[in-house]
Amino acid sequence: MSAVAMLLADSRFPAGGYAHSLGLEQAVSDGLRLEDVPGFIDARLRLVARADASLSVAARRAAAAGGDPHLALEELDGEHAARTPSPVLRDIARRLGAQLLRSAATAWPSPLIDGYRAASATTPRPIALGVVGAAAGLDDRAVATVALYDDAATVASAALKLLGLDPADSARWVAELAPEIDAAARAIGADERPVGEQEPPAAVGLELAASVHAQRTERLFAG
Amino acid sequence: MPAEPANRALRVGIGGPVGSGKSSLIAALCRELSEELRVGVVTNDIYTTEDAQFLRATGVLPAERIAAVQTGCCPHTAIRDDITINLEAVEQLERDEGPLDLVLVESGGDNLTAVFSPALADVQIFVIDVAGGDDIPRKGGPGIARADLLVINKTDLAPYVGSDVERMRSDAAQRRGERPVLALSLTSAPRAAPVAAWIEAQLGAFAASGGHLHSSVSGAPDHHHGHAHPH
Repeated sequence: MSAVAMLLADSRFPAGGYAHSLGLEQAVSDGLRLEDVPGFIDARLRLVARADASLSVAARRAAAAGGDPHLALEELDGEHAARTPSPVLRDIARRLGAQLLRSAATAWPSPLIDGYRAASATTPRPIALGVVGAAAGLDDRAVATVALYDDAATVASAALKLLGLDPADSARWVAELAPEIDAAARAIGADERPVGEQEPPAAVGLELAASVHAQRTERLFAG
Repeated sequence: MPAEPANRALRVGIGGPVGSGKSSLIAALCRELSEELRVGVVTNDIYTTEDAQFLRATGVLPAERIAAVQTGCCPHTAIRDDITINLEAVEQLERDEGPLDLVLVESGGDNLTAVFSPALADVQIFVIDVAGGDDIPRKGGPGIARADLLVINKTDLAPYVGSDVERMRSDAAQRRGERPVLALSLTSAPRAAPVAAWIEAQLGAFAASGGHLHSSVSGAPDHHHGHAHPH
């Protein structure tokens, strides 16, 4: 694991993740208990986080392929929208993508990031992460690892604020899922199929819950 | 040679502990300034959207010029360590409602160490109140010592809570050197005219400098205060 990948995965990298629970806040309101959180993280890893990581890898490949990548990246923006039926989640992905690109444009000055920021109307985070990974010199597996780890760690961190627990316990959840994250990152990094031929996610519950969450007047998290 | 005009609004951060009167100060400033200036507000609510709703309910600004962001229990992070959520909100407001002259960013309310990054706020106001205890200026911290303007609010309550406003002023001056301190009561001054005048002066300096104000929070802390203190 390179220091650059660690920087990108570090919650101290200013990309706005701290304001998000990735659906955990609404799930807790709907009855999810403390002991269910590792299962929630695992379900995300198998469904949406995996799909997002695949998009990030595809974006890294497109961005690193040379020439003008904007058409290919725009297609991937569309693939993300097609995989995200909830307008609330599409909007959240766009905001998080914009936040990531804003800081990454300063951390890794590059025409690649500037070009994508200027050309893409939506900058969904998974595609943005692939572009940043290419600019920062990460390979496919590293990009997939960062994507999956970040998803798991964001939920685990949100749990501390939503459900009283020992912070070391939330670290253990991620530690126990680390082999699964590594295996999935290896598989995603080695998958040469275009994303259009890969299995789409089916996390309908998360999609529906996001709309309920967005309507709440009392909430800690942006998503 | 005159500087190029800034192509964005002046961004003023309003920080300070919970309950010190940040939202009331913003409402007062909007009352005083919004006839002359195009003003936008970004609130960082902790749990409810109450701050944004309060401002909308006062009718001091069109509702669409007030944006609220959630900060996931990390109000200090959102103004200092990872400001991307607020920068996005400010720029969105300027795109949708602009051009604006002034954007006020209200912190979610935090402890005495929370200050705005100079990359988010061109200048910042720290708001405390007499009811929080008159030893707060003496305790200091980055907000008290380094904010561009310190406001001591609720001076009308001082006799009832046993606070000494003059002592607060002099302790603050020791911490802050030449930096300004304004003591006021928004109950008796509902348009916060002295604070509004300070902001107008900042707007003038912002325009004259082409958008390059130097906040007193930028860079290393200096030692304007003239008293000895342990390090």
